[in-house]
Amino acid sequence: MASLAGTTISIASRPWHSLQAAKELSSLKSISFSSIKKSFPAIRLQPASSRLQICCAAKSDTLEKVLKIVRKQLAVPEGTAVIAESKFSELGADSLDTVEIVMGLEEAFGISVEEESAQKIITVQDAADLIQELVEAKSC
Amino acid sequence: MENGVRRWLVNVSQWNPSEAQFASVISLFPVDEQTAITRYIKFEDKKRALVSRLLQYSLVHEVLGIPFDKIIIHRTAEGKPYLKNSIDFPFSNFNFNVSHHGDYVGIASEPLCLVGLDIVSITTPKQETELEFINNFSPYLTVLEWKNIAHAGSSEEMLAEFYRYWCLKEAFVKAIGAGLGYGLGRLEFHHTNWTGISAYIDGVESKKWRFSLSKLDEKHWVSIARGLPNKADELCCSNLSLPELGFTFRTLEELISNVN
Repeated sequence: MASLAGTTISIASRPWHSLQAAKELSSLKSISFSSIKKSFPAIRLQPASSRLQICCAAKSDTLEKVLKIVRKQLAVPEGTAVIAESKFSELGADSLDTVEIVMGLEEAFGISVEEESAQKIITVQDAADLIQELVEAKSC
Repeated sequence: MENGVRRWLVNVSQWNPSEAQFASVISLFPVDEQTAITRYIKFEDKKRALVSRLLQYSLVHEVLGIPFDKIIIHRTAEGKPYLKNSIDFPFSNFNFNVSHHGDYVGIASEPLCLVGLDIVSITTPKQETELEFINNFSPYLTVLEWKNIAHAGSSEEMLAEFYRYWCLKEAFVKAIGAGLGYGLGRLEFHHTNWTGISAYIDGVESKKWRFSLSKLDEKHWVSIARGLPNKADELCCSNLSLPELGFTFRTLEELISNVN
């Protein structure tokens, strides 16, 4: 997640464990929640031309996946079109929704989005483009 | 004497306009506002957007006396509405902030201090547990805030505690006109049972900001952040220590009649 280096209070990763630990310390009922983190297969190096083909095919897959996540998070009614140009705000997303969507995208694509970048996502296409950028940066 | 301070709320769940009624209210606004309102997909969002504009224009009209059709409200890059018309002293720092969530739309204005407003509607998450939901926001909360949330009690109480922190953080970033990129994890709220609220920014207590948090009903809370703009003068500083004004509930009919 976004780096907080340089601040005195820093949370390097989601404190699943610290929340659990805090609860145990206060001897509340123990909670168990399954980890949402998914594991991703290792990416093997491909020759340049087939890598390009894979990248292009991946773009429309990425958009499809993003549309699905957004539809679900914002409870968009069936029959309402959500397209690449749809703005998150017009779909009814508030700041809480935006954070959740970004988290959902991070988990689905195995990437980490900086808070500043998250703020710049206005349309679904912006989200897909950002993901594409981050996924490609990971595999290259 | 007009002091420029307002705190208004509308309960939109009590307004169920017909298509014709909605069309008649929306026609009060300039075309670009009408377009912005109708672009929302869900009707509830259109309704909240319309009421938000109605509050903005009514407030500016009432406080500053500008005729409805002469009011120009633009938005910053982050989407914060502000008055474009030039205003004379003593209201040259006049600013306002709107918020909507759940059943309420609200507006707050100040003549000198920066003001931010946020309303939260505590909503039980549908696709995950309360804990899973709150964990999404871990980068935006400090260790102390996490501890307080974890010790709040049941899942419902933890959720409510999270929403209260979020409400305050949002009021602050909205007052300064920043977005999520600000780094909400830098901000830590201290309080005694949600009164006497103070903010620590990067570990240092801020003397320039005052906060208040109040309960509207079982599901809704509202927060106000008031602070000194960068070039604060004495008048502004003394203004900051004034007690927080309570909210007034307005109805659509009242606001619309202000227009005519």
